Amino acid sequence: MPKPGKNYLLNTEEKQEWMRDYFFAPRGLGFLEPGIVGPDDARVAAFNVAKSFYQTRPDVFNLALVAEKTGLSADEIKARLQRMYDERLYMLVKNSSVGVYGFGLWYWVVKMKDGCPPEEKQKLTDWIQNNNEICTGYACDGGDFDFYCGNHMRVLDNLLEAIIDPIKQNPYVEYVHLCPVRRDLRESSVNQADTPFRFREFRFSDEAKKKLFEYTDKIDEKDLEVLEVLNNTEFSADLFNYDVLQELSGLDGAKMREDFSHVMDESRFLINMLYLNFMKLGLNNHCYLIRMFQNTPSYRKSQIIDELAANPDFNNVFEFTDSYHDAIFMAYEELTDSQKLRETMEAYPEIEEILEANSPRQFRRWTARLDDDTDNWEMCVFTDDLLQNRMARKNACSLCADKEENESC
Amino acid sequence: MLIEEARDYVVEKLPYALNPKSIAVVGSSRLDGKVGYKVIEGLEKWGYDGKIYPVNPRAKEVQGLQAYATVKDIPDEVDLAFVAVPAHVVKSVLEDCVAKGVKIAVISTSAFKEIGREELQNELTQFCRDNELPLIGPNLVGMGSPYFHFNCGFIPYLPVPGPVAMISQSGANLLAALGTSQEDHLGMSFFVGLGNKADVDFSEFIEYANKDPNTGSIAVYIEGLDCPEAFVKAAHKSSKPIVVIKVGGSKIGHKAAFAHTASENPESDEYYQSVFDKAGVIRAVTWQEFLDDALALGLMPPLRGDNIVMITNGGGSGLLSCDHFERRGLPLKELKEISPLLFGKIRNYMPMFGSPLNPVDISGTATPIQYRGAVSQALRDPNVDCVYVSICPTAVTDVNEVADQVIEVWNKNKGSNKPVVMECQGGKECHDIILKLRDAGIPAYPTAEQAVNAIVALREYGKILDEKEKAE
Repeated sequence: MPKPGKNYLLNTEEKQEWMRDYFFAPRGLGFLEPGIVGPDDARVAAFNVAKSFYQTRPDVFNLALVAEKTGLSADEIKARLQRMYDERLYMLVKNSSVGVYGFGLWYWVVKMKDGCPPEEKQKLTDWIQNNNEICTGYACDGGDFDFYCGNHMRVLDNLLEAIIDPIKQNPYVEYVHLCPVRRDLRESSVNQADTPFRFREFRFSDEAKKKLFEYTDKIDEKDLEVLEVLNNTEFSADLFNYDVLQELSGLDGAKMREDFSHVMDESRFLINMLYLNFMKLGLNNHCYLIRMFQNTPSYRKSQIIDELAANPDFNNVFEFTDSYHDAIFMAYEELTDSQKLRETMEAYPEIEEILEANSPRQFRRWTARLDDDTDNWEMCVFTDDLLQNRMARKNACSLCADKEENESC
Repeated sequence: MLIEEARDYVVEKLPYALNPKSIAVVGSSRLDGKVGYKVIEGLEKWGYDGKIYPVNPRAKEVQGLQAYATVKDIPDEVDLAFVAVPAHVVKSVLEDCVAKGVKIAVISTSAFKEIGREELQNELTQFCRDNELPLIGPNLVGMGSPYFHFNCGFIPYLPVPGPVAMISQSGANLLAALGTSQEDHLGMSFFVGLGNKADVDFSEFIEYANKDPNTGSIAVYIEGLDCPEAFVKAAHKSSKPIVVIKVGGSKIGHKAAFAHTASENPESDEYYQSVFDKAGVIRAVTWQEFLDDALALGLMPPLRGDNIVMITNGGGSGLLSCDHFERRGLPLKELKEISPLLFGKIRNYMPMFGSPLNPVDISGTATPIQYRGAVSQALRDPNVDCVYVSICPTAVTDVNEVADQVIEVWNKNKGSNKPVVMECQGGKECHDIILKLRDAGIPAYPTAEQAVNAIVALREYGKILDEKEKAE
């Protein structure tokens, strides 16, 4: 938890407290950091089995626990999960802990020039959607910026050369600001590895729930309760039914659980969760991109972000480092009071600027595509640059097919 | 898992692996570069005209075809299920295949016995056996046949049609053979990668190949021979020649074979040689020899005697051949020893400075007509068992025309039941006529040693048949 009032003076005991509160682990290459295993390792088998089957077998989840917490029968829970999957309302996903997994998580903000024709913006939208070197991102349809995207990379130059440069060369782009992630605090309402609050807690306020059920009939109270229970299990390993995983895969269920507990609950370098697809609920994700005064001490920046993140209205929270911007917060526009959230932020004198934009569209959920309209739902592409050199390309701008064409662009 | 002999239900269902009317591609992918994408792309590209059912629970369509969440959801009959999903999904897929009544399952997935999951592999195999669902693989690259325009797997091309049935445990070496087929016209009747061969065994594909009308010889690449009894029985039943190459005999290769296809090689090389001797199969030592022998055995009748006549326009290639024949234990005999009258007949087709020995050197100025005459005379001589023709491309040699003449002679004398083998050493013109000769059914090679090895294999097969006939 954040500890306001401390100064964390260098060369004192308090500095060590800073290290304890905000420790940024070293980043290595590959999956050779001590204690870390790759996502296809046998110790991640439970997740991988569930990921392969949950589309047609919702009983891979711990239905007994859901039944106990919701009062629904197992059959009804299965039916609800199946319906929600078929309607693309949720996706079983996993996140990596940025701090330890051997890559940087780099986001960037793109602002198009004033007067940019809609078709030119659409071209960049399509380029981002179909680019397998961009693992996630949002398109915004009004506000202070137009795109907020990201990728997990090991070599920053690979990102600059393969992605940032082509966007910057686009003549309709005003600017691209890099936002390297220092802490991933919350995604899709689930607290992530860097949260100061309870790890893997599903945060959704009662007020927001009420508005959600008034706003849409795609999901009801019990549906959300099912997702909430599964996202809120005391241990990550409680998410699944290991008898079913064993029956489906032939692998030993008890061993799968033991391994999964180690990876998820003890080591915490992966986090499993059920992603809530706001697009299919007809929601907009309202973005608040925050810049603090540069003379704000780094610990204070982190404290402010933690204090704001305590508000469950924010479904996504990232803190940046070495960036023009310091953090991004997102809240579902239809379920929250945007003005009030802004005022909460403005109450901090350290905050110099808040850029806002509204996003009706997310491109990918990390590596899994979300564009169901083109039947690419859940198509997973490993966008990481592990062992790759993306620097030797003849990069054109994002509008052009090749360098030659770019010269006449 | 062990079998004592080829199982009838497996052999009966193997045609569904090479000429199915419908295929479920389980793990079909929308993403170019994934195995599940390449399988459908390969099927369509090479002209498969049966039905393809992609199975992918995340997609509505894959490559323009309606996708199904599971095999059980496919509305029609399924002959073959090609499975390219992670290992932890395979059990469920096999259960669906049994429920659906799929005829045969092919598992390309890795990460079974070769990484320590022997128990799981055995459980799945036993399940398939209990339900008479033949399982090919796991851990394989695919299979196909140019005769059926069928390329199923992640294989970039089909071989040219021909007589060799290529049965390989290694996907990489199978691909190498297919590449050689494309480049050097090593014709194949079908090809299959067996991978870990958890269920379907060499012996069953040998029995299938024996029944296959397009197959003339059976080539088997072996990393581990789990069921030697079944292998010997199938080889004895085969009326077609079998050539094998056995790898993993070296100290370090032994470990590599296990890591590759979970092949265990606890026995000595002498043990394997005794199995091959008992089976009556020809053993090649090098990969090149394996391919060369298979081609000769597929195209030519067995060599039933030791009387080989070599006709050449180059003394050097003749000498290389002589030495290699001797090294391989099949020394050339003097021409007069083979047929006292033959030299007199051939003399009409050579200049006065030609050599009357064996090799018969019809000289560097030999014309296509002279080649034709010499080869015809030798082939028609009742004392000659095999004619070995060599061409060196001198400035006055029309190698293309010589090849045409030899093809014509061979076509007219096929009834003699004597093998004709050619060697064409030189540049592009020689490579081109090697392809032409192979397409016409004559095994042709770019070096003397390769041609000699092929002839030795034909002789070995002749002796194997002699033994069989004696035993009968």
